[in-house]
Amino acid sequence: MAANEDSGSFSKTSSESGNDLPIFSAENLQCNLKVIYYSRTFLSIIGGVIAGILGLTGLMGFVVYFLIMALTSLGLAAKAKFSINSYFDYWNRIVFEGFLGGLMSFVLFWTFAYDIVHIF
Amino acid sequence: MADDLVLDTAIRDWVLIPLSVVMVLIGVLRYFVSKLMRTTQVPDAKVVREGQVVLRARNLRAAANFIPAKSFRSRRVYYGNEENGLLHVPKGQAQNAQAQMLSDPNMAMDMMKKNLSMIIPQTLTFAWVNFFFSGFVAAKIPFPLTQRFRSMLQNGIDLSTVDVSYVSSRSWYFLNLFGLRGLFSLILGEENAMDDTQRMMQMGGFGFDASKSLSAEKDSLDIVQHDWALPRLEQRAEAVLRKLVK
Repeated sequence: MAANEDSGSFSKTSSESGNDLPIFSAENLQCNLKVIYYSRTFLSIIGGVIAGILGLTGLMGFVVYFLIMALTSLGLAAKAKFSINSYFDYWNRIVFEGFLGGLMSFVLFWTFAYDIVHIF
Repeated sequence: MADDLVLDTAIRDWVLIPLSVVMVLIGVLRYFVSKLMRTTQVPDAKVVREGQVVLRARNLRAAANFIPAKSFRSRRVYYGNEENGLLHVPKGQAQNAQAQMLSDPNMAMDMMKKNLSMIIPQTLTFAWVNFFFSGFVAAKIPFPLTQRFRSMLQNGIDLSTVDVSYVSSRSWYFLNLFGLRGLFSLILGEENAMDDTQRMMQMGGFGFDASKSLSAEKDSLDIVQHDWALPRLEQRAEAVLRKLVK
């Protein structure tokens, strides 16, 4: 799911894993982080629209957001073939990168879709 | 409570949707206008050279452990010695960045253009929203908030009995202003997002001083502890080759 739209843009950061020295290519790392950011933003917008159309209110909407972000993390991990350390310097990059930035988009599109469908 | 507040569907069709669409379109327009107004200035050769030297020194520092100690030492001397090292800045030659800025009016002009292309559309849109849509209850956020948010969300409605989760049109404009950033970075590509960070960097590096960064790089190159990493790699290469032979 998450990584489908960016297939092929993942690039390896370390030449070989299993080395005790971390060898990172800063540009590739940046590219990977950008991919994470884009998929997060995209999915938070889509998720916001879905939550709005379903008419979720209050805590349920945020639960949906967390669910979507968890799914994104899972999808990204699957895209990295579960060897996160060969693509990112810390494994928690995949979980937290772009998390708060997506929340704003999510809330906006959630409100927008909810208003259009439900309150009028 | 005003939970049963009934909103006219005409408000949705003529306030909520047009406002959001206009915000998106204005963002796109601003992107292209600022792209048109951007001038590519010819960089000063000296500045470019200094920047490249700093980059090379940084690369050396990052990859110091992958070259033998002797090579590292000779490179360090090449960069940092006191007579003609690349990173060494003779005293008194350090140029005052502020003076350089003043002598180059293009720089200030460029910055002003960028700022104007930010401010003018925002002011115009705000005036437009104020003129046409003032006083509408345009939206309702689907989660409860405390009274503290009233001034933020119901800007333009002076009623204390309306539930806080109702949003006035002016506040909807503000919500759009902040929340659409993610959408813009998706539809306009990375350039838009990068533009912001670049602008930030320019702000930060307003008085960017090349000689300062040169000497800072020299200092950090001086204190690098060299520790050759490759002897450990020989065993690994041996293992890999043996595996291949098998």
